[in-house]
Amino acid sequence: MKRIICVGNRYVPEDAVGPRVYDALVQRVLPDDVQVIDGGLAGLDLLRFIEGAERVVFVDRVAGFGGPEEVLILDAAEVATVGGVRYDHAAGLAYLLGVLPEVCEGALPEVLLVGVEGPPDDALVEQAATLSVQLVSGQWSGVRGH
Amino acid sequence: MAERMTLNVPLNRVEGDLELRVELESGVVADAWSSGTMYRGFERLLVGRGALDGLVITPRICGICTTSHLTAAALALDMVAGVQPPPDAVRIRNVALMAEHIQSDVRHGVLMFMPDFTNPAYRAQPLYEEAVRRYRPLKGEAAIEVIKETKRVLEIVAILGGQWPHSSYMVPGGIVSVPGTSDLLQCRQLLQRYRGWYERRILGCTVERWLEVHTASDLAAWLDEREAHRSSELGFYLRFARAIGLHKLGRGHGHFLSYGSLELPEGTQVRGRKGGDTLVPAGFARGTQVDGFEQEQIAEHVAHSWYVDYAGGKHPFEGETRPYATGQESKKYSWAKAPRYDGLPAETGPLAEMVIAGHPLFTDLVARDGPNVFVRELARLARPTELIPAMEAWLAETTGDGKFYVSPGEVVEGTGFGLTQAGRGALGHWVKIENQKIAHYQIITPTAWNASPRDSDGVRGPWEEALIGTQVKDVANPVELGHVVRSFDACLVCTVHAASRGRSLGEATF
Repeated sequence: MKRIICVGNRYVPEDAVGPRVYDALVQRVLPDDVQVIDGGLAGLDLLRFIEGAERVVFVDRVAGFGGPEEVLILDAAEVATVGGVRYDHAAGLAYLLGVLPEVCEGALPEVLLVGVEGPPDDALVEQAATLSVQLVSGQWSGVRGH
Repeated sequence: MAERMTLNVPLNRVEGDLELRVELESGVVADAWSSGTMYRGFERLLVGRGALDGLVITPRICGICTTSHLTAAALALDMVAGVQPPPDAVRIRNVALMAEHIQSDVRHGVLMFMPDFTNPAYRAQPLYEEAVRRYRPLKGEAAIEVIKETKRVLEIVAILGGQWPHSSYMVPGGIVSVPGTSDLLQCRQLLQRYRGWYERRILGCTVERWLEVHTASDLAAWLDEREAHRSSELGFYLRFARAIGLHKLGRGHGHFLSYGSLELPEGTQVRGRKGGDTLVPAGFARGTQVDGFEQEQIAEHVAHSWYVDYAGGKHPFEGETRPYATGQESKKYSWAKAPRYDGLPAETGPLAEMVIAGHPLFTDLVARDGPNVFVRELARLARPTELIPAMEAWLAETTGDGKFYVSPGEVVEGTGFGLTQAGRGALGHWVKIENQKIAHYQIITPTAWNASPRDSDGVRGPWEEALIGTQVKDVANPVELGHVVRSFDACLVCTVHAASRGRSLGEATF
């Protein structure tokens, strides 16, 4: 199984890109082996959705990785480097990906992040949704970073 | 600081950030101000929406207490609709909420609180190297094991609710899912596994043996009784915490509050420590003197909060959430309001639950030393011993494919409140419904109680007060402040700014 996990808070506009991409993806017809998950604020508890997956693509807002209104591809190690090493109530994706190699049961799947810079408009949401499907399906062959 | 650090987006996902400013005199905290730095505004977001929308929106206030918010929202609507859910619906609601608690309690101890034992300030402690081996962030053997073992217990919520995350299966009148016999069996197996691991790794003994520990001297005897007790996480906590004097830190006002939680369903064999109709009793305590609880005594003050002023406090049914961030900046310093019970600040959380329930060990410990960091965190680590046996009983008592819902009819008009105990303490939702729409919604979270700013009388909040008198040995590494802050398990990220006679000493994030 391949999974797209959209994270963020749909009631905080600047953090709502993940849930908006989730809303866009559930309107699409996706390959049978792709699951889409509204990961919300679940943080460390998303570990169960990584384990056993062949490939996982997260979708989330990022800041400081690119210019405004950019959609980027980041790998797990890159995301993990910017997280705190301490677990707390705000521990999010970066903590999860940082601890993942130590706690993942079974084979560690390939994990990527589709990161969206800045408050997203509808076009960016659609772009991120399309990119996440291409990545999770192994059909993407573009240049990293954009 | 590299701009890339801002990637950690989730800082404002939970409930917003918190800043705590302390003033030191000769290295001792002389005053403290707790400031919520983010306006949440969920109450205003809910007004005008459909009567049931709180069931979907409020669980997303917090990524950790989702089931607690769902419980409070559903209880409030039960009251509005005047409906009593069937006994098995009560059981399932309870078990799901408790699953969230027993995960959170262990995670807090091992992943949030005990990593402070690896602080370089304790390098000279004989147990330091062992603390590093156990709790080193991302690598400590206890930390890694806790992440692996606690991940499964929330599957109970997924199975019982039919969906996770963002379950909204509690509704007025019961639950919308219909757990079958095999679902219940699966939950019992998950719980059995969790109990076995909790007993082996966290307690070092059976739940039943732990429940025989009634006094401080029993606790000392228990620690010496077996190597398994000494080497468990709780045993190690006792040894390290005593060595660094956590029982002398973080006293506070000594007022405790519990709304009561986990209704006892009709026909159950489960009993609370004090009888009554809930497993966790409601009450207000001054020290170990416990009185009854009346929700009418709750009021929120805004004299020091960035909201439009009103005199004194207002009950949540009359409360207002009208942000006002200009003027009086020297007086107003928080987006959090100041909840008070009968005009008094009160701490809430596992220790408050234990004291109000009359738990003999915690009553004895508080009677001896007053509230403090040591006993607060111990109560959290031990709380699953109060919950797991009742969870097992309720899962065994529930009839698969049975009756889990009675129709409340249309929810058109009325007022109601839902009071429960979240992982961090007393959580309440107050709602008014008019013409099938939400006309008023007020939420008071546990952290609003514990991290409250000053009230109309200028009285400090519980956490502000608990910091007074704390000696900071190294202002560049104020680990003592971290212990006090973390012992309340605030559902916020806290940045502490220390100042000494107007001189800034930098800041540390907890």
